[in-house]
Amino acid sequence: MSTWEIVIFTLIKILVIFTIMMLTVSYLVYFERRISAWTQNRLGPNRVGWEGVLQPFADVFKLLLKEDIVPEQAEKKIHSLAPVIALFVAFTTYAVIPIGPSFNFFDYNISLVVADVNMGILYVLALTSLGVYAITLAGWSSGSKYSLLGGIRSSAQMISYEISMGFSVGGVILLSESLRPIAIVESQGLWMWNAWIQPIGFITFLVSAFAETNRLPFDLPEAEPELVGGFHTEYSSMKFAGFFLAEYANMIISSALIITLYLGGYQIPFIDITTLGLAHWFEVLIYITAFFFKMGALLFFFLWVRWTIPRFRYDQLMNLGWKVMFPLALLNIIWVAVLIMVFNL
Amino acid sequence: MAERIRKEDLNFLERLYIPEIVKGLALTLKVMFKPKFTMEYPEVKFIPPSSYRGRPVLVMEEDGTERCVACGLCSRVCPPLAIQVQAAETESEKERYPEKFEINMIRCIFCGFCEEVCPEEAIVMSKDYELAFTNREDALYGKEKLLVPVHQLQDRIDFLRNYK
Amino acid sequence: MPKLIIDGQEIEFQQGQTVIQAALKHGIDIPHFCWHPKLSVSGNCRVCLVEIEKMPKLVIACSTLASEGMIVHTQSEKTLAARNAVMEFILINHPLDCPICDEAGECKLQDYAYQHSPGESRFVEEKQHKDKRVPVGPFVMLDVERCIMCSRCIRFCDEIAKDPELTFTKRGDRVTLATYPGREMDNPYSLNTTDICPVGALTNRDFRFHARVWDMSSTKSICTGCARGCNTEVWVRNNEIMRLTPRYNEEVNSYWMCDSGRLNTWKFVNAEDRVNSPQLRRDGLLVKVGWDEAFSAAASEIKLIGKEEIAFIGSAFATNEDNYVFAKFAKSVFGSKHLDFIRYTDPSFGDDILRRNDITPNSLGAELSGVAPSKSGKNIYEIIEGIKTGKIKALFVMEDDPVAAYSELESLFSKLDLLIVHATNYNKTTQLADIVFPAATFAEKNGTMVNFKRVIQRLRPATSTIELDRSLNGMSMSRLDKFGTKFDKWAQSTKRDARPSWKILTGLAAALGTKYKYQIAEDVFEELASAVDAFRGINYDDIGEIGIKIKKEFTAVEKV
Repeated sequence: MSTWEIVIFTLIKILVIFTIMMLTVSYLVYFERRISAWTQNRLGPNRVGWEGVLQPFADVFKLLLKEDIVPEQAEKKIHSLAPVIALFVAFTTYAVIPIGPSFNFFDYNISLVVADVNMGILYVLALTSLGVYAITLAGWSSGSKYSLLGGIRSSAQMISYEISMGFSVGGVILLSESLRPIAIVESQGLWMWNAWIQPIGFITFLVSAFAETNRLPFDLPEAEPELVGGFHTEYSSMKFAGFFLAEYANMIISSALIITLYLGGYQIPFIDITTLGLAHWFEVLIYITAFFFKMGALLFFFLWVRWTIPRFRYDQLMNLGWKVMFPLALLNIIWVAVLIMVFNL
Repeated sequence: MAERIRKEDLNFLERLYIPEIVKGLALTLKVMFKPKFTMEYPEVKFIPPSSYRGRPVLVMEEDGTERCVACGLCSRVCPPLAIQVQAAETESEKERYPEKFEINMIRCIFCGFCEEVCPEEAIVMSKDYELAFTNREDALYGKEKLLVPVHQLQDRIDFLRNYK
Repeated sequence: MPKLIIDGQEIEFQQGQTVIQAALKHGIDIPHFCWHPKLSVSGNCRVCLVEIEKMPKLVIACSTLASEGMIVHTQSEKTLAARNAVMEFILINHPLDCPICDEAGECKLQDYAYQHSPGESRFVEEKQHKDKRVPVGPFVMLDVERCIMCSRCIRFCDEIAKDPELTFTKRGDRVTLATYPGREMDNPYSLNTTDICPVGALTNRDFRFHARVWDMSSTKSICTGCARGCNTEVWVRNNEIMRLTPRYNEEVNSYWMCDSGRLNTWKFVNAEDRVNSPQLRRDGLLVKVGWDEAFSAAASEIKLIGKEEIAFIGSAFATNEDNYVFAKFAKSVFGSKHLDFIRYTDPSFGDDILRRNDITPNSLGAELSGVAPSKSGKNIYEIIEGIKTGKIKALFVMEDDPVAAYSELESLFSKLDLLIVHATNYNKTTQLADIVFPAATFAEKNGTMVNFKRVIQRLRPATSTIELDRSLNGMSMSRLDKFGTKFDKWAQSTKRDARPSWKILTGLAAALGTKYKYQIAEDVFEELASAVDAFRGINYDDIGEIGIKIKKEFTAVEKV
């Protein structure tokens, strides 16, 4: 492929992924509201469109029409920059997540990932660390004590959990012998999902993912009873929407990452569909569907947990991060190393 | 007070939390599929029981006159000073009638004291809860808005006779 | 002094006092309906029954003379049982119509029913039905059903008003209060019966159903209807005077006041034709202007007039403070000698009970405060003569209506170069005036007046004006005033932009370059008390609620 063709294909992929992300984020918000309602014996938004399906658009219009208030005490530039960082991090991370195997389109071989980078996992970890900046800067630049406290909590929380997250990933990399997301997916084969092989690593990663996305039970940066809105207390209108979108985009990234690392990516368990003799395009379609199905299930899990488990106390959060998750992640690496030694995987 | 459970009292599985979390998840999942209690308001309207205290109204007798004698007790007892009564003389047997009877519905707190203190059963709490105004003036309910025929209020009057 | 013992308390009494009088003097309240301190003893209500040791039966405290060594029990078991029985008996035929009764809230029967009755009635039969809504007089409405036959009203007409009009007819539970055939209760004091009526049988037709007593505030004031200056309570709701009732002052009016004073002396305060804000005549019409504009306009007009060409007419309707500052203004700012006030008398008004022929409240006070012509100055008749001859070209009138008093002035006043008037309401003089200042009425200001008996009495503001705040200026407050906001019923009062005359004159003097240091009416009176012998050494606290009497020689004072 020529450079031009690569650029064009990449742009198309970015466009597709971006559109899918935006739509998923919007509908994630919608489902969050409906699922929260169902768990509380309510109906949730069901007025705009059939069963409320147009609610996300109404929400966006509302946010767009709201007045953008910047506090007098705020660092104006950074205040405006923070939500942009949050969004940027959330969307760019998605570049390395494969949603299906590569396929042939006319004469081109297209892989279903924006950038098939050989150190993709490092890229992801690097970018998620950057996400801390968005929240910390937002908290600091608002000039409000609630925002500041939320921002500080957030940075401490994210740094703490990044450690166990990184170590959990270590186990996966040991097994797959590669940092390339596609290689990791393919190394898991049909049923050898990392979730089965290294359940401790899976759990530590899952918990860390929750903490990294600031979702309940780890949403201390915006703990309403004590911090009003946390780091986004002083945000309104589209800047607030930026954080809001980033939070949900992060959820999508996290689930995609968990699928890639632990749940076999786009593969279907136990059934090798290549042996069924289906058309190539149909196989690809099945893979993509499998990926999105897994993602949907994980996202539902995210929402489900949020409306079930109450928020941690801050010291509990730190205890859990340092005294439980971190040793467990280390244990997981040893476990994987032993497995490799014993079974010569 | 609930019994306080210390960490030492928990068994290993409980201390692991994970089974407990799964239990919690199972519960919320179960609730998700249960029937909902939400009443879809503008289409489905809540019909309150007779013990409900909606907007206070004046009882209008069959002949179209108000039962109220403008004694002013409701106005006196009203905690937020929402009721204004101006009495005047009438030729009818009751001598006195409210020339002006005004309830400021922004002020009203629906406590029902007016109804309780009324010696004539002339002011009662209706089942009307649909009260929306766009300005202060609309919220001043005069006699024309307050008078409701007695047969529409029979439910509440019977309730008061039984339980007041 | 002889002594008796009531409820274990040793009490001194004067020979000839009854037990109830002796007890009341020492703060022991024995319940009573028919007894009134100023009326003869009738002894028919029986609620004042008390137990006196060594007496075979309970006796009524109102007609039993106190005697040395008597031991009286007002709270013994026997007394309480008898009192409860009497209350139950009285309530048998009393209708339960407190909700529509105007007396509710100040009803003796209602109070006693709470304090001294068992709280329940065993009477299940039909109550007696009698006439309701009988207009027994031009001002009084009678409800016979409510009457408890205490006969206070009958005795009042006989003994105080000296005009017997009422009597009981029939017997037993059919007894009915009625006027003599062909008569109606039209004596000039008839409304006092509504005050002394312990129930709502006699009510004031002018006030009937207008307001509930608990919604009003009451302010201690005096009546401005004649030179008697009866002590009154001014009842106000939503900054509007609802009624006037007499207040006890033995020296001046005892418990009474006349119907004319009660009905006619305050309606102008609420009236629609009140002067509201200062006004200047422009192109023949009075135009509302601000105070500062009015002061400077008046000052520049006055400066064009020579001191011999201007005359000042004070007022017997205004307070001492107003008249004093008026006189001072005339004398010191202008050096004018032509200063007097109009005296009003009505020979048909006075009687030998309370009413006086002098129908102004403060003619003596105006004179004492210095509103009188100087040696070569003109008195009121000479002033009028001066206007006729053209010597007087300008006139300053305070709170009076000379055109209504002397009809020939109507044509004369139009000749004047300048006519400045302080007025509460639009009148014939304001129609001709060039500058009108809105004066506060008697119910809107502090001040003093001197009645014909030389008693200095206080006026207190009952209704507020724009410059007078009910809570900040210590005015009496009703429940609605205390707890209401401007969005509440009866707390949205209309306030008028009027000032007491002394304050208007202070402002005008300042515009003319003379500074008076008066902040409140009391400051004026302080200066008055040091400047005028008659008031020497008196202050507002001395005057208090019942006033203070000036001695004839205008030097020392004695407490009333």
